[in-house]
Amino acid sequence: MTKKIIIDPITRIEGHLRLEVEVDENNIITEAWASGQLFRGIETILKGRDPRDSGLIAQRICGVCTNVHYRASISAVEAAYGIEIPDNAEIIRNLVTLSLFVQDHIVHYYHLHSLDFVDITSALNADCAKASHDAESWSQHPYRNSQGHLESVKEKLEGFVKAGRLGLFTNGYWGHSTYRFSPEENLIHMNHYLEALRIQRELSKAVAIFAGKTPHPQNLVVGGVTSVADMLNPQRLNDFLFIIKEVRDFIERAYIPDMVMLINAYRDSIKAGEGRTVGNFMCCGGYRFGKNRQLFENGVIRGHNFEHVEPFDPTKITEEASRSWYENDTPLSPYEGDTTPFYTDLNDDGSLKTEGKYTWVKAPRYDGDVMEVGPLARMIMGYVKHSAIIRPYMERFMKRSDMELLDFSTGLGRNAARAVEAQICCDYLFDTMSDLIENIKYYDETTWTKYVFEELPSEARGAGIFEVPRGVLGHFVRIEESKIANYQAVVPTTWNASPKGINQDRGAYEEALIGLQLSDPSAPLEVLRIVHSFDPCLACAVHVIDATKKELSHYKIMNTYSL
Amino acid sequence: MRIVIVGGGIAAVYIANTLIQKSPQLEVLIVSDEKHPPYDRIHLCKLVEDCTCTDSIELELHPKVKLELNQKIVSIAPEEKRIFSQHAAFHYDKLIIATGSIPKTLFDISELSNAATFRSQRDCERIAQGINDKNVVIVGAGPIALELLDTLMRSSSPKSITLLVRKNYLYSEVISREALELIRGIFEVDKRVQIQFNDEIIDKEIVDGRITKVITKQREIKNPFLIFGVGIDPNIDFARHTLECAKGILVDDRMQTSDPDIYCVGEAAEVRHGGFIAGRVKECTLQADIAIANLLGDQDRVFRKEVAIDGLKVGSFLFADVSATDFNPKDSDNETILIAHKDRIDQYIVKNDRLKRFIGINTNIDLLAIKQLMEHDSVIDAAYLYSNRLMSESGRLVCSCEGVHEQELIDIIKENAITSFGELKEHTKAGRVCGRCKQDICTIISSTPVDPTEAARLRAEKVAMAQAAELEKVRARIEKYNRLHPKNQLSSENFHEALESYEMSREFNRWVSMITASMHLHPQFEEVVGESVVQLNKIPIIWLELSDCTGNSEAFIKTSHPKVDDLILKYISLDYHELLMAASGDQSESALESILHNDSEKFLLIVEGAVPLGMDGKFLRIGPKGETGVELLRRVSKKAAAIIAVGSCAYDGGVVAAEPNPTGAVGVSEALGREDIINLPGCPTNPINIVGTLLHYIMFDEFPKLDAHNRPEWAYGFRVHDNCERRGHYDAEEFVREWGDEGAKKGWCLFEMGCKGPYADLNCSLVKFNEGTSWPVQAGHGCFGCGQGKIAFDRYANNRKLEEKAND
Repeated sequence: MTKKIIIDPITRIEGHLRLEVEVDENNIITEAWASGQLFRGIETILKGRDPRDSGLIAQRICGVCTNVHYRASISAVEAAYGIEIPDNAEIIRNLVTLSLFVQDHIVHYYHLHSLDFVDITSALNADCAKASHDAESWSQHPYRNSQGHLESVKEKLEGFVKAGRLGLFTNGYWGHSTYRFSPEENLIHMNHYLEALRIQRELSKAVAIFAGKTPHPQNLVVGGVTSVADMLNPQRLNDFLFIIKEVRDFIERAYIPDMVMLINAYRDSIKAGEGRTVGNFMCCGGYRFGKNRQLFENGVIRGHNFEHVEPFDPTKITEEASRSWYENDTPLSPYEGDTTPFYTDLNDDGSLKTEGKYTWVKAPRYDGDVMEVGPLARMIMGYVKHSAIIRPYMERFMKRSDMELLDFSTGLGRNAARAVEAQICCDYLFDTMSDLIENIKYYDETTWTKYVFEELPSEARGAGIFEVPRGVLGHFVRIEESKIANYQAVVPTTWNASPKGINQDRGAYEEALIGLQLSDPSAPLEVLRIVHSFDPCLACAVHVIDATKKELSHYKIMNTYSL
Repeated sequence: MRIVIVGGGIAAVYIANTLIQKSPQLEVLIVSDEKHPPYDRIHLCKLVEDCTCTDSIELELHPKVKLELNQKIVSIAPEEKRIFSQHAAFHYDKLIIATGSIPKTLFDISELSNAATFRSQRDCERIAQGINDKNVVIVGAGPIALELLDTLMRSSSPKSITLLVRKNYLYSEVISREALELIRGIFEVDKRVQIQFNDEIIDKEIVDGRITKVITKQREIKNPFLIFGVGIDPNIDFARHTLECAKGILVDDRMQTSDPDIYCVGEAAEVRHGGFIAGRVKECTLQADIAIANLLGDQDRVFRKEVAIDGLKVGSFLFADVSATDFNPKDSDNETILIAHKDRIDQYIVKNDRLKRFIGINTNIDLLAIKQLMEHDSVIDAAYLYSNRLMSESGRLVCSCEGVHEQELIDIIKENAITSFGELKEHTKAGRVCGRCKQDICTIISSTPVDPTEAARLRAEKVAMAQAAELEKVRARIEKYNRLHPKNQLSSENFHEALESYEMSREFNRWVSMITASMHLHPQFEEVVGESVVQLNKIPIIWLELSDCTGNSEAFIKTSHPKVDDLILKYISLDYHELLMAASGDQSESALESILHNDSEKFLLIVEGAVPLGMDGKFLRIGPKGETGVELLRRVSKKAAAIIAVGSCAYDGGVVAAEPNPTGAVGVSEALGREDIINLPGCPTNPINIVGTLLHYIMFDEFPKLDAHNRPEWAYGFRVHDNCERRGHYDAEEFVREWGDEGAKKGWCLFEMGCKGPYADLNCSLVKFNEGTSWPVQAGHGCFGCGQGKIAFDRYANNRKLEEKAND
């Protein structure tokens, strides 16, 4: 007998995401559907506007990774017109984007995801002296690890409970059979959970130094950046550097050791390949620094074939809508992409029409294949392409955690890849800042490339394609009569949360869930671990429904907020 | 610095005391030509009656002020910064002349033993000693002459008193006939008194330095004692050669004479513009204040005439006089309105429907109200003056400087068992500013019986009443609070524990201060704000996300003052947030259902995102049953205590409703057809504005004052442009002309680069973002009015100056 479980809403990306899964009598997931439940039509709104204005509108696609849409949109227009931005402008854009990477990854792990693994009630039973000692087996210099400090953390948690404020940390999962950490390990994680609250706040300030505010920064224009006064203010540069320095310390002494601890505790899940997709990875690469170096490699890998890497070719990207609520079913290039809604509704009981169209998310394909994007894809790509930047970090981590490359292609492995990437991005911020200081030192204060709009071609097309925290982001713009004629954004979640394609191939979320066994279908913690590993950045109420659509139980997730 | 003041009157003392108070390190010296320490000339009359009590009209002088008596200044040497008397020289750094005036006489009386003026203490002594059994002749018709007449009437010494009036009026040429008759009648009750109008001295006989006979136009008066009360001249002879003078020493409106180190105030000074010479104490002290302010470096204060109030108690009648600054007695447009009844007369002089002067006899008109009518130059209706006598419930105005009425004084006297003028000091300043009403107040004190037991009872009663009122307030608040929050689980005791558990007590206090300041509340409110955060914990909040980008949620929980995010998460009871939800324990119902069920009418609903109405709302579906966004909003909003639309999308659709509005998106207000939605537009909305609005609701149990768009005025009552850090460059026309140009590097104004700050109402320029790190203008981009709603995304979201449409 199969049961259907509806998990809605999920997303905190762009609109509202739903998952429906079917499980067999052994509680093993046999099929899954991911569905976007909101259509806003930002792309439609952009049509007919002055191309220079696209950034401010397009960034409203998402308030979580808002800066990257702003940047991709402006870059798409620059690409269309062939405007090359000054070195300083690119550096400032990179400083902001890379800070966002680090912030996003830290918040994701500690505040959205870690409580899928950390049992807070167990931490209250920890022996602080032992915890302080144990921490040294994960790091030579553990972060804020004195026995006294750990006592105070424990005291805080106890105070929380006493104050009747367990609410935020309470759900039905405490004591779930799949929690693995010792009380001491739980306490170490909770210590870092609290520290990370402060760290991510500092990072928001770093972003605002060059971008005015976050979310929805305001420092970009076609041709460059506007925050030249901040760039030339040594105190602002200094403030930025000191924030990054503090963050780096946290990553090396807390985030990475915690990740090694996590891998050790859940090695069986990794070896069982839980959360693995078909193994198609796509990266566009990027983030130039120094003379000719770049942070990320581009490439496409299919079916975990690490021996063969194809170069990334954006023209091979298509979007199709056979299972999505749009009119045109045929695969089209994003430049031609059509977003005319064709809504076929839900079933009368509110469930998805799983045989037909079932989502507002389109199905992007690369050369016809579904792809997974994100930190995992980037780290694998950097490793197999022998990136001088990424491979040493990966090797160090693999040695320390005793992992093979394929082990990363799992739910747990995605988190490991994300942690390594956070460390790399943080270090890279120093190099990038050095480039900026060098430029200013030799009197290059240029932040904008001059152009005369009226002299630009009236017809053009261009794309802004970037690696962003959750994967490959592409904005595609076609300009006619100096106005936007068509606009399409293919965001990371479009790739990972893709519906099935014309040939029934599943999207990454869907595929990663197949074969997963649930120990208790009324508390599908395993599902959340996999879904969260993609960084959907969500907290959700989950409704579990049986085959007769009767609600079995309801529970809330305790890793409920991101900061 | 050494300040020398020349003069021995009220103005000199006032200046000296004020200077020492404001700047204790100054050396202040008063040089006076009198043999007595400075005294209050207004009370000379008392002196005539009772010559021995000079002490009682002596003015209080700060002990640090030095005093040189019997030094008549004869000349000034500005180059050396010295002044000279007959015997000595005094050095000054700054000199203030407050020598007042000298009385006029019609002929030289310096060698005569039975003639006097009425100005100094010496004059009073002479008068008191010389009038016995004499036919006293007072020359003059003004207030001084009348006051003297009143005083002498009360003495049995004079054989007769004749008031010689050159023209045909008393007090002022504008006084009404009725008033004149009334005054005259009051004086002439005394058979010794005779008032002779249209009369003047035409000759006299002098024998051995004594006047034996005064011959007037109408009669001869033998064995006279002659007193001149005909007017005054500025006492400035010593300065005529060194300073520019007209009638008085000429000063600008900062009371500076032609020598910048020399100031002149009061009756000796003539304001260069307009030729004004002060006569009243109030005007003199005002001028003194201006001189002091300028001397101490405040160049902004200048002298302007003020509406003058004079009160005069003469014999059995009370005289009240209010005069507008631009009153001109000779103006032919003046009209008089007279309301007379028995021995009471109210005389209004009106010009072009505006009140210019009021003279009242035995009136109980509220002089402060009259003063305001003149200050505002209000148009008045004559009928109004007839039907509405601006009476003060507190009786007549006694002290016009402090605005204290008779009944108020009596209450103070009774409540505090006051028996002397000195005891009154700690309760009111009445009688202590210009001193004119001091005698009047003394009379009120002596005629008000006090009972110390009764006074104690009154005081206790007052305190008890205040306490009861306070208790009642607290009780009402507790009652209201309990009514609104019946399900409170967290006591404030636990709250403190929770705070400590997060080591954020300190940050909490800082945060509270910041919120208090940004809401423009007095620091006193910090405690209330702090308390209300505790309360906030207990008010359930449902946060719905509709057609949104989560930007407001991100901003709300991510940024602001250090650790505010922790606070908001932990101390605001965000019981339902589709993305942040933290409810617990309830395994059978969703948190939303449980709040709708248990906290109906009690929870606050916050909505983020637009409401798509197109395609029957199916562009957004939420939950396993596939409810549309608008259905969910309607269902939840019905049970909400109040609804707050956060962000520009929830305001009017925002970017989602931008042309061509593909999903038919509207704001919350329009979707629900309700006018009572609180709007907090912004993209995203600054969390300070969300939390501040919530706090206001908690603190006052109502939303802050809203503008026409239902936006709180405390956050949206500012134009970004007006408070912009680059505003100075706008005014100086220093503009960025091209991205990254020299102006951009210097932080010049972004108006030419399409900054829409002039079209945006928000407090971004005051509170900034991300813990005050920056904001779009600081980042050199400029504002695009993201808080103005969808118009921002259709017209403002670009880097070009707004092209005004033809019909705008």
